[in-house]
Amino acid sequence: MDEKDFQEMSVQLEQEANLREKLKDEVLKLEQKSRSMQGTMNKIHATPTAQLPKIISTVKPVVESCKDDTRAIAFLVPPNNYWRWKQMWSQAVQGVVFTLALCKFLEDGTLITLPEVSQVLGVEADWKDRFTIATEDYLHGIISLVNELSRLAVNAVTLGDFDAPFRISVFVKDLFAGFSLLNLKNDGLRRRFDSLKYDVKRIEEVVYDVSLRKLNTPTTGGDETMS
Amino acid sequence: MMAAVQSMPSTSRDVIMGAFNGYREELDEYYDRREALTKISRDITSLSKKCIFLLHRLVTDPSNKPGHEREVSVNAAKKGYESLGQIKGMFEGISEHLQGNDFWKFQRTISPGLQEFIEAYGFAHYLEHNTLLPYAEVQAYLSTDSGQPYFPLPYSDYLLGISDLTGELMRYAISAITTRGGRARARELCDFVRDCRASFEAFAPQIRGMDHKQKTTTNSLRKIEDATYAMSIREHEFGASPDRLDALVSQYMSGYGQDRGWEGGGRGSRSDEQDEE
Repeated sequence: MDEKDFQEMSVQLEQEANLREKLKDEVLKLEQKSRSMQGTMNKIHATPTAQLPKIISTVKPVVESCKDDTRAIAFLVPPNNYWRWKQMWSQAVQGVVFTLALCKFLEDGTLITLPEVSQVLGVEADWKDRFTIATEDYLHGIISLVNELSRLAVNAVTLGDFDAPFRISVFVKDLFAGFSLLNLKNDGLRRRFDSLKYDVKRIEEVVYDVSLRKLNTPTTGGDETMS
Repeated sequence: MMAAVQSMPSTSRDVIMGAFNGYREELDEYYDRREALTKISRDITSLSKKCIFLLHRLVTDPSNKPGHEREVSVNAAKKGYESLGQIKGMFEGISEHLQGNDFWKFQRTISPGLQEFIEAYGFAHYLEHNTLLPYAEVQAYLSTDSGQPYFPLPYSDYLLGISDLTGELMRYAISAITTRGGRARARELCDFVRDCRASFEAFAPQIRGMDHKQKTTTNSLRKIEDATYAMSIREHEFGASPDRLDALVSQYMSGYGQDRGWEGGGRGSRSDEQDEE
């Protein structure tokens, strides 16, 4: 038994454990911001459509400050070790993506793209072997967006915005069509994608309820410009 | 109304479809590569297991001549190395998918095969040298002729792989104990596994899964200890010389000898073997 061999290994594993602790601290900061932003955004379900910009504007500074955390993580991770540690911040990143996507949809009715997310979070291209937004995490965030929008369709109607379900319906159907293009494996993403149809169905029901009673603005064609 | 909604001009849809087409390409490439590597990892696992069985067969072959244990072990190790050559080729083949940042992307995919390989290689190494396979030697084996590693060997896979080796050594010790000269071998194995267990203990908190392996190692160690204890009790009980006891054991074992390919039966065979000493 070569004791020196084991000692060397032990020293290096110790260093890795230290790195893990440091990363944990940074990830915790991001996680807390992610949670607090989601908490703020939860207010959209009880806020009239006209006042949504105010909520979004309170989230913006927090988004901006996430840049510090992504940078800190990127500088901790050793070169070529992105995939080794990525699991630690996947969930936090998914939450941030969700918030960004929700803000973007409420602002202009469109989908935030992956490059846009990276840009907003200050992720630099040459970090790609240390920190980047994984496509999977981005897609998880977008699925959360759809889950959230099916709730919003219901709650907007409660608050008297009868056109919101129509805007949401079009958008979510586009997203569903997008997800249908993917050849997903039997993993978490696949399971969550499978649940999307219930969200789509729920939104359809709201649209049906509203249109049956002719509560929406008659010129439905103009819905998209009303957000 | 619904129809009106659906027929709305939707440039946003085109943007979304374009983006998702890109995501599909990326995910497809990842899934395809992962699937290919999973298959190779499974093949490596099964070849490694075959190598381990081969080594067991060679070292516990009843036709091995007593007194030549060292030679038998070394020859078995050589055959083991030969059969591992194919696995080396497989690792070389997948190394292009494991460069740079991609290694950790697929580490978990190849980890099972890699650990099983280390177990087999560690067994062969033990038979040849009576020592623990060093980390550096595995990394050197998994490198090109010019010394360029196929991929960086993680400590975790190395330690988890050689930790599994203790189970094989237990099996070896238990089957060796009933062969001539096997009790000394079992004692050696017992000491070795005990040392392994002590050395690995420091890594239990640092490496996920090591704690569980340590429990298995402890169980294996116990089995070897109990077996060597039982043998030692009998040695004293009979007050017999090791040779005499060897003879007793093989006499006892020869009762079960037919299916293991032992020649002759009972007393005759025993006295033959004793004559050779």
